[in-house]
Amino acid sequence: MRSARSRIYLLLVGFFVSSAAGAQGSVPQQGPVLQKVPENVILVKGAWSSASDNVTPLPEGGKVSTDSYNSPYFGLTLPLPAGWIQKYEGPPPSDSGYYVLAQLRPADPTPGQGGGRPRDHARGTLLIAAQDMFFTTTHATGPLELINYTRDHLQADYRIERPPSNITIAGRDFVRFGYVSPVAGLHWTFFATQIRCHVVEFIFTSADTQLLENLARNLGGLKSQPEIDASEPVCIKGYASAENILERVDPVFSERKYNQVPVRVIIDREGKVKHIHFLSAFPTQSQAISAALSQWRFKPYLRNGQPVEVETGMLFGHVPQGAL
Amino acid sequence: MAIRKSLLGSAPGLALLALSSVVLAQTDPGVRPGAINGQSGATTTSPLPLASVTSNTPQGVSEFFQNGLGRFQEVESVSGGANNGLGPRFNFNSCSGCHAQPTIGGSGLPTNPQATILTSVGGNPPIASSSTNTVPSFITTNGPTREARFPFFFNANGTGVNTSAPNGGVEDLFTVSGRADAGSCSLTQPSFAFAQSVNDVIFRIPTPVFGAGLLENLDDSTLLANQAAQQNNGLGISGTFNHNGNDGTIARFGWKAQNKSLELFAGEAYNVEMGITNEIFQNERPLPGEDEPSPGNTPAGLPSNCLNLSGNGYPEDATNFAPSVANSDTFAQNAQIPSDVVQFALFMRLLAPPIPSTTVPGGAAAISTGKSLFSSIGCAVCHAPTLGTTQASNITSSLGSATVSPFSDLEIHQMGNGLADNVSQGGAGGGQFRTAPLWGLGQRVFFLHDGRTTNLLTAITDHASSGSEATEVIENFEDLSTSQQQDILDFLRSL
Repeated sequence: MRSARSRIYLLLVGFFVSSAAGAQGSVPQQGPVLQKVPENVILVKGAWSSASDNVTPLPEGGKVSTDSYNSPYFGLTLPLPAGWIQKYEGPPPSDSGYYVLAQLRPADPTPGQGGGRPRDHARGTLLIAAQDMFFTTTHATGPLELINYTRDHLQADYRIERPPSNITIAGRDFVRFGYVSPVAGLHWTFFATQIRCHVVEFIFTSADTQLLENLARNLGGLKSQPEIDASEPVCIKGYASAENILERVDPVFSERKYNQVPVRVIIDREGKVKHIHFLSAFPTQSQAISAALSQWRFKPYLRNGQPVEVETGMLFGHVPQGAL
Repeated sequence: MAIRKSLLGSAPGLALLALSSVVLAQTDPGVRPGAINGQSGATTTSPLPLASVTSNTPQGVSEFFQNGLGRFQEVESVSGGANNGLGPRFNFNSCSGCHAQPTIGGSGLPTNPQATILTSVGGNPPIASSSTNTVPSFITTNGPTREARFPFFFNANGTGVNTSAPNGGVEDLFTVSGRADAGSCSLTQPSFAFAQSVNDVIFRIPTPVFGAGLLENLDDSTLLANQAAQQNNGLGISGTFNHNGNDGTIARFGWKAQNKSLELFAGEAYNVEMGITNEIFQNERPLPGEDEPSPGNTPAGLPSNCLNLSGNGYPEDATNFAPSVANSDTFAQNAQIPSDVVQFALFMRLLAPPIPSTTVPGGAAAISTGKSLFSSIGCAVCHAPTLGTTQASNITSSLGSATVSPFSDLEIHQMGNGLADNVSQGGAGGGQFRTAPLWGLGQRVFFLHDGRTTNLLTAITDHASSGSEATEVIENFEDLSTSQQQDILDFLRSL
């Protein structure tokens, strides 16, 4: 790289690349193709989510199609209001167990129908989020407590319109909660429900109260699995405690890092760890923890005398006050 | 914004644009005129310190502040000057050259002094020699003052980048080669043009340091309490903290909150940006990778004729055992004793935070409404208007029990692939950035970590992209009326 010869070579290569820049696809490149950093891709991820296999459904594994949001892990399908899309995917799971499952909004108006966002165009958002209750730092144990936490920490800019209350929609128990920002004229409505160790929240935001009512009505089309599904592992908070662990090996970390590493595991009927999901971990951390967990043995969990699979959470790494 | 572009391409579109131009009126008011930092008495070369420093409590703190301010402006040379040790690689030759907007301690100026590095300015010889240096294409007269990094190392055989080999270290723009005071040291600049051709260069602009001492004196528990209060905010936001590897506590300075203290910040910048070794970083710094082995390459570090160019030995900045200039004021005399880095840190620590205007721009009503809207739509979840109260201070009383209003939670957040720079620092990955403190925003010129825009509206909308925690809040912003958006812009420029 430092010698004059290699600099001239690089300059020549650069020339060929730039002259071939407009010729991708149909016309053959004139010189060697340089490897570039791909645009708009995060390659150096830091702490990120990963799993031991790509078959077992993950909380963040839901997908938005043209007409619905579908999540195999949560067992739910929500039809989308007509014309609603996900423009941008959300962030990865956070190290406090919070997920952005889908961020939905009306599609931008097609060109020619007016500049910017016309006032009569539907404006609002539908956020589908989830909080893994193993990892919340709020001490909440279910939807009502989690919503109450939000209510108790609302900034002074908001006025509560609808205090937290129970409601049944599409055969599920929800907690509904609503507030408004009088200055912005924006209304928020939360619908929170418990699904497999998580509180799943459908959050509607709009200045248009009619739109909000439509969105709430649309929620009635939610298809979800019943509360107890025999094919799913049983969710048990804190299962990885001393009385249930028959054999354990502690992970050996190659370096000290200061992030917390929330980990979901599924334990099979023999008490072995069959699936590991890292919500947020550096690669060295997930490798060390995977190597350790493969040697753990749990006491199998019995339901009606029969061993069943268990889903539980564990927190490795830096543990702040208030966590598990 | 994409809609506007496609409109311009058609005749009916142009007509519609003309009609709608009255409606599309939210505009960035631009750099706020008036009092520097909103502080009465501040000038472009004299930022205000905290109140107890102005009143010289405890006695001597004011002289130490003035000394630090003076050192911050020192022009560094390689050898033979008043302040030596510059290079062999550097981005500029004084702290205040880059940290100057709207006054010393701020961010980059509207006219970039790096652009004239090869020319004689003010009768002084060029800072860098054109016999060996060229100005990279990304340094322009009216563009941001910046440093450059290559997210990935190149392949040794010239085939481009190796995305399995992260780099991310600062690639200094210029070398001292050819300067009359640099002896025979001959180094070449990094391959910026090649890096650009393979999309392997990112930029960082200077961070302002007003109010930094207040940020330093917040206990971790205060930051954690603020984080806890934001849980389940209903906006998709869930940040985390960067920690330093030395003692594990929350780090808070720099674009990714990678630096623990102002001392570290100063020491690192002195060595990395100006090549001046000091008591925190004692060794001359080669380019990233130059001191690491690679196939077929035995690393040798810097050549010996580029070391000890000042002739004074190492580190180039060190404690002065005796003051060099007699001064009848004992404290001013004593203030000469600490090293530059200690005095830089003290200067930053003692700077007063900017004072928001209550009336400019747009008027009091617009600013007040804008502030409410800023919180209501969710910006304040990350850009916390008030972060907490500092601990008691052992340095000066204004640093103690003070309410800190930085408009930042000091957390790192995922900002999506539109802003990601593929550089990881400490616990922050390539897509994570510290919530930039917005105090003082009103008089800044360039925005976001790389200074990519001077338009505040663009800086806001750039917060939304795939993978960003801010998307929902930006959706809320875009759903506001034009006049509401203008109120927010006015409020932000009042800061």
